[in-house]
Amino acid sequence: MTHDTRRDFLRAGSLGFLGMGLPRYLAAAPAASAKVKSVILFWLEGGPSHIDTWDPKSNSNFKPISTNVPGIQISELLPKMAKKMDKFALIRSMHTRGNDHPQATHYVITGHEINPAMQFPSIGSMLTKELGPRNAVPPHVLVPKWERGRQYEDYFRAAFLGGDYDPMCIPDPGKPDFQVTDLSLPKTVSQAAVDSRSAFLKAVDRRYRALNETAEHTDMDAFSAQAMKMILTPAVRDAFDLSKEPDKLKERYGKDSIGQSCLLARRLVEAGSVFVTAAGYHGTSWDTHSDNDKSHRDRLCPPLDRTLVTLVEDLEERGLLDSTLVIAMGEFGRTPHINPALGRDHWPNCWSLALAGGGIKTGQAIGTSDERGANVTNRVVSMGDLYASVYKLMGVDWTKEIMSPIGRPIKIANSLEDKTGEPLAELFG
Amino acid sequence: MRVLVLLAAIAAYGAPKLVKLQTVPASAALHGAKSGQQFLAIATYSDGTEADVTAAANWSVSNAAVARVTPGARVSPVADGGTTVEAAVDGVKARSVVKISGSAEVRPFQFARDIGTILTKRGCNSSACHGGVKGRGGLKLSANALFPKDDYEWITRGGTYQVLSAEIQGERTPRVDVKEPERSLLLRKPLMAVAHGGGKRLETDSEDYRTILEWVRGGAAYGSGERLASLTGLEIYPPLAAMPVAGARRLLVTARFSDGHMEDFTNQVLFSSNNGDVATVSADGVVNGKALGETAILIRAAGQVTSVGVGVIGPVIAQYPVIPRANFVDDSILAKLRKFQIVPSELSGDGEFLRRVCLDLTGTLPPPERVREFVALRDPKKREKVIDALIGSPEYVDYWTFRFSDIFRVAIFANGLTPKFSQKYWEWIRENVASNRPYDEVARERLSAQGYGAASRHFIPYNQIGPAADVMAEEVRVFMGRRLDCAQCHNHPYENWSQDQFWGMAAFFGRLFKAGPVVFDHPTNMDFSSKDVDGKVELLHPRTKAPVAPVLLDYSPLEPRADGNPRKDLARWMTSHPYFAEAAVNRIWGYFFGRGIVDPVDDFRSTNPATHPELLTALAADFQKSGYNLRHLMKTIVMSRTYQLAHTPNATNASDVTNYSRSLSRAIEAEVLLDAVVAVTGVPETFATSVLEGGAVGQAPAHTRAINLKDPDMYFSRFLELYGRPNRGAIPERSGKPNLSQALHMLAGATYVDRLSAPGSRLRTLLERGAANASIFEEFYLAALGRSLDKDELAELTGLVAQRGDREAALREFVWALISSREFAENH
Repeated sequence: MTHDTRRDFLRAGSLGFLGMGLPRYLAAAPAASAKVKSVILFWLEGGPSHIDTWDPKSNSNFKPISTNVPGIQISELLPKMAKKMDKFALIRSMHTRGNDHPQATHYVITGHEINPAMQFPSIGSMLTKELGPRNAVPPHVLVPKWERGRQYEDYFRAAFLGGDYDPMCIPDPGKPDFQVTDLSLPKTVSQAAVDSRSAFLKAVDRRYRALNETAEHTDMDAFSAQAMKMILTPAVRDAFDLSKEPDKLKERYGKDSIGQSCLLARRLVEAGSVFVTAAGYHGTSWDTHSDNDKSHRDRLCPPLDRTLVTLVEDLEERGLLDSTLVIAMGEFGRTPHINPALGRDHWPNCWSLALAGGGIKTGQAIGTSDERGANVTNRVVSMGDLYASVYKLMGVDWTKEIMSPIGRPIKIANSLEDKTGEPLAELFG
Repeated sequence: MRVLVLLAAIAAYGAPKLVKLQTVPASAALHGAKSGQQFLAIATYSDGTEADVTAAANWSVSNAAVARVTPGARVSPVADGGTTVEAAVDGVKARSVVKISGSAEVRPFQFARDIGTILTKRGCNSSACHGGVKGRGGLKLSANALFPKDDYEWITRGGTYQVLSAEIQGERTPRVDVKEPERSLLLRKPLMAVAHGGGKRLETDSEDYRTILEWVRGGAAYGSGERLASLTGLEIYPPLAAMPVAGARRLLVTARFSDGHMEDFTNQVLFSSNNGDVATVSADGVVNGKALGETAILIRAAGQVTSVGVGVIGPVIAQYPVIPRANFVDDSILAKLRKFQIVPSELSGDGEFLRRVCLDLTGTLPPPERVREFVALRDPKKREKVIDALIGSPEYVDYWTFRFSDIFRVAIFANGLTPKFSQKYWEWIRENVASNRPYDEVARERLSAQGYGAASRHFIPYNQIGPAADVMAEEVRVFMGRRLDCAQCHNHPYENWSQDQFWGMAAFFGRLFKAGPVVFDHPTNMDFSSKDVDGKVELLHPRTKAPVAPVLLDYSPLEPRADGNPRKDLARWMTSHPYFAEAAVNRIWGYFFGRGIVDPVDDFRSTNPATHPELLTALAADFQKSGYNLRHLMKTIVMSRTYQLAHTPNATNASDVTNYSRSLSRAIEAEVLLDAVVAVTGVPETFATSVLEGGAVGQAPAHTRAINLKDPDMYFSRFLELYGRPNRGAIPERSGKPNLSQALHMLAGATYVDRLSAPGSRLRTLLERGAANASIFEEFYLAALGRSLDKDELAELTGLVAQRGDREAALREFVWALISSREFAENH
């Protein structure tokens, strides 16, 4: 009966009140022996055309070019990446579900199809829960938050895992007035004010809490202490402070939302974040239902090429590349054929993504598609397989199932046909 | 005072006297040579408590030629006829009547009953073993023998079940061996004669072993039992068991059959405790109290699961006070509290009651002047009057529109991608709330909606018709409180829902289609119907891949309809089913108490029993009688003494969280909390949007309340996100749990900083008026907490202001503390 768990919960809470236990959030992070500590998801919203980027085909209007890895060619739209292909692993045989943006985004971010009966936690939330926070820095961050609609943002959230594992969604660092709210006290609030507030709060709540001490109350006390610590720890605020980065590096990343989000992601993983989604492509979506070629050539691929390569170089220069896995992907690929508006439509059946860092074996392309990039011809890779690989890299048991509140077991690496994903052996070579 | 009186009463507790003895059951009819009946002797004592004295009693029968009774009170037949069975304890006697017929008859073998009982009782088909979704070790059995024909197939023909395909995996080697019955895998496995992951489950000298062996020897037929009556339900005595720590109660299980006859089934079920720390249960149904608390004992028979509540209670209260009742709601609540020796808290104070009822009925805090008026009013009917004033008020309409917009999922993404669509849906809900339309009518319109009207918006998330399985599962969860989802991919692992039933129900929504293209903002160019135009059934069964026709959950037949909309039949069936009223009253109850009688409110299942089953039934019956009148239901709930109890606990109820012995604190919803912050500080919130609404772009009209925002995905609010506003992409489940971001926002966020003493704020107005500190405190306490501050609080706050040096800063910090406090953020 549910009240039994509730009762246990209250019991745990009362220990907390005596200072004998704190919420898991504040507990020391589990000893992760794995070398990989962080993931940066470079989110290519809208879905890049795989045949015009990482899996060039004759039905693309762009030429394939050779890379610094013999035998691997990519589109001419990614010249910088071609020179650094030894630092990347491509997967050209992604096969996923969801033929429209909400469904597909939900699917690749949670590993599950949308179900009105329940919300699933995102990969970032599951990883954050498994690994715990480091250095008081927010462990799960999404940058920038969406300006219109919060549906997509919700897919990145923790669902039943709880608010601690929701991403902290912050404004666009590419904007001149970029500032992260709630991480520093407003100038109008002095230290004296903070102390006085605490004294007043104790006075106001004393009578009520004497009658009624719940686990939620003690949790809130612990969160308040943690919040205070974050606000008063300069390192936390600094992690969000891009003014500390040299202008030259900002230029290399690109002084726009795309570049600055990735730069901020690097600062955050350096400071201790576990999962950062760099989603600077919001405004310039890869959803090229019209003018596919022009968009890829002029608007989309140049910043991808620039920022992704800079991110990997920067991580390497700082010695963070082996401990940080970079995933660059959208929610699906695009159709092999061009539509009457000169665009390409959605294509979850077969698409590509790029991986770097994390100590994986790079300089390889995993899986193949047919001559038009329409179907996987060799080595179907599911979302569950990708998740399993990420978990394995980070020392998490990918076969684990977590229980939803109604007792439905949820695979943390959910593959196709109700199977558990398998780590891609090629990455661990 | 009350606490002292109670303690005195407990201390006065002496040795109680036996005042009444009763034998259970009062009568029994035994049929057949192998029939039998366990009897119990129940003693009632002078302090009102009960105890099972079966073992201490002397048992006898009046006619030994007809029946015999063991010292343990088990009666079995000797010959046809009648007799009484008598128990005697300390000279007190009680008796029951026993009738015996067919004493020479042997019931024909029934696979479903005879083998099903063994598989269930020995745990073979539990959901952790072979009854799990995929089975175990290659053998799949239906959980609790719900599907005996499938079980028969796997046992006698062999092979391995697959979840996602009707194809049989592996060799079909029978698990029985008719030529050498002792070599049957069905016996050798549980005997551990061959390796068995489930360990030893059977002994060769057991009755069950002999039953299986005889069955296999006889050719392992399914049996002629199909013509016999089938098991339709289980009745448990006592229906609610209370005992002290180290006390014991024996359960009697009686099976009800389709022909109306009853049989003692105590020896043919599997007992298990939901919480062995509170109470354990033996294989023969004796419950032992281990620690104070409440749990349930689950009882599994072949094809049936039920449960019984168990309370392990504290010391008996010698003079349990008389608690007045306000209406029928209180009857079952007070009866259970008495049984569990918990005394409810006092009636709430007026201010406490007013804040609670205003929040629960209208999502709005009462302003200070209303609190003063109400507290001062000397009218014995003032609570009812204020309830009548609140129900149906504009704030009531706002609030219940908001709550039903949650359950019915009003959101741009969920209703077709443009605000116009979701707003139409919102307006439809609002009209229904404003006119107090009967809830069954609302449900029927929503379930059978056709065309592109407001009520059908929820069928088109993302502007695509939702998958039939999802739509159906949502409707059943919203209107019947059941979660069928598990049965989508396989028979439900522990409920009586089969995958076939699931898809039969889903098929009602499998013929929805859009006629014509969608053009945004021109909804009339699109039709939305379930007309079966070409006779094509859209939905395929995922395992058999065969087309599925609509079938009601209870398999009752459907007549083809001239208008081609079978959802009308579905809607009529759903709203007339007892589940509908139960689910509705439980959901509404949950809103007023922070937990459902079944909790979570939409998770009715045999393994999640109601805390007060009679109350649920009574509320449902009353709701139905009222014509599914939601306002009537709400008034009934808030008029009860149970709802109006105080928050302050006493010595007996401080740890009670399930029995409504006091008003428990519950988190206020994000939207209501933000509105409350606005109300207390006096500074409105502006909600920015990038979507056009009512001609205004950029922000919602000034003074719009958070509960009146139509689409949660249309307006941004950091506060609302942090406090758990759901996006309604799935049926919302608000947890109300605190998180780190809330703490950060409280410290540094705009909601808690900018408005404290802004121009026009409550604080600024009071300061400008020259109010003294004490009256400023008083005003804020009334506004935020619905109560005055006490002397100690006044002294402490006054001291803090003086200590701070800067009066205005101190008062600002006081306001911050008030809106950051737990007392403010919770309803209690």
